[in-house]
Amino acid sequence: MSQSLRPYLQAVRSTLTAALCLSNFASQTAERHNVPEVEARTSPEVLLTPLTIARNENERVLIEPSINSVRVSIRIKQADEIEHILVHKFTRFLTQRAESFFILRRKPIKGYDISFLITNFHTEEMLKHKLVDFIIQFMEEVDKEISEMKLFLNARARLVAESFLVEFD
Amino acid sequence: MSIIREHTQHTLTDVWRTINIDALQEDSSVNFDTSALRPPVPEISEADVRALTSRVRQLLRGGDAEGALRACLESPVYENGGSNTEAAKEAALQTVVEVLQSIKASDMTPVLRGIYASEGGSEALDVLMKYLYKGMAAASTVPPGGSAPRTPTRVTPQPTGFSQMGPRPGASSESTGAAMSVLLSWHEKVVEVAGLGCIGRVMTDWRRV
Repeated sequence: MSQSLRPYLQAVRSTLTAALCLSNFASQTAERHNVPEVEARTSPEVLLTPLTIARNENERVLIEPSINSVRVSIRIKQADEIEHILVHKFTRFLTQRAESFFILRRKPIKGYDISFLITNFHTEEMLKHKLVDFIIQFMEEVDKEISEMKLFLNARARLVAESFLVEFD
Repeated sequence: MSIIREHTQHTLTDVWRTINIDALQEDSSVNFDTSALRPPVPEISEADVRALTSRVRQLLRGGDAEGALRACLESPVYENGGSNTEAAKEAALQTVVEVLQSIKASDMTPVLRGIYASEGGSEALDVLMKYLYKGMAAASTVPPGGSAPRTPTRVTPQPTGFSQMGPRPGASSESTGAAMSVLLSWHEKVVEVAGLGCIGRVMTDWRRV
């Protein structure tokens, strides 16, 4: 693990642990509804200060806490166009299967690549530290995954180019 | 026929679909008065911040890192709907970041422990935490017209192996990356000294820097 990745993940971990302090809170606008307040934004008093953790200008996490839900948005590192395409494909693959991930949001919020929405029902059902671990592990894995895919892509492109150009040798 | 035409005219021209009708009702939860949640904050002008900065620099030059950090955490410039200007807040943030960057990594924990143990130290560290998050948020947002848009429009040399020249595309972020890693390691140390409650208080406090 690189030198600056560890404090970055540590900061995300402690912020998430502090933010995942959720309680059941019924909607104040619609009777018998129970919606994540961070999405509905109908009661300004239950929304807390959104926090940003950044490693550099291309890699950051936005954590928006509220009384009954936390929205975690991750911007994955994209150094060039190829990585941009790979990240797009990868997050699209995941978000299309959002219901099997429970906490994954179908659409990332603007400026970020992937968003998670954790509600009080998730924290009641699942262990809080496991939820935090999941997000941290996801952040660790996704960088590795993207750079691995990029290597494969480059190797493949080289092979294709070589076998194509051998005709003209 | 006439009904249909009227209907389409309205749907096309009016933006009534985007109006949040709940907000028009006075006792709706959207209109909750949050001013009760914001305690009064002192007004600090940009000139005050400049004066503080020079005082802090003097302390730093004198080798009193703890005193310098304390001094800039004692009078944070909070957002209070106008009279504390953006420039003043920005200058205050710059001062804090400057102090943080000038303190050596090995001195971080003793300085924080010193502040935490002193009177009002817990509040000072909460303020420091606010500035850490603000610093990370400010540096990661792209200035208008700046580099690193969501889709890279600049054609940068790709590290394909064909060209050994040219900087890595992320090279411009080298300096911000260094600044971030200072803030991140401070974040870790503050959590170590003041605990998770410190982050909780940053989230729940309406006095934002």
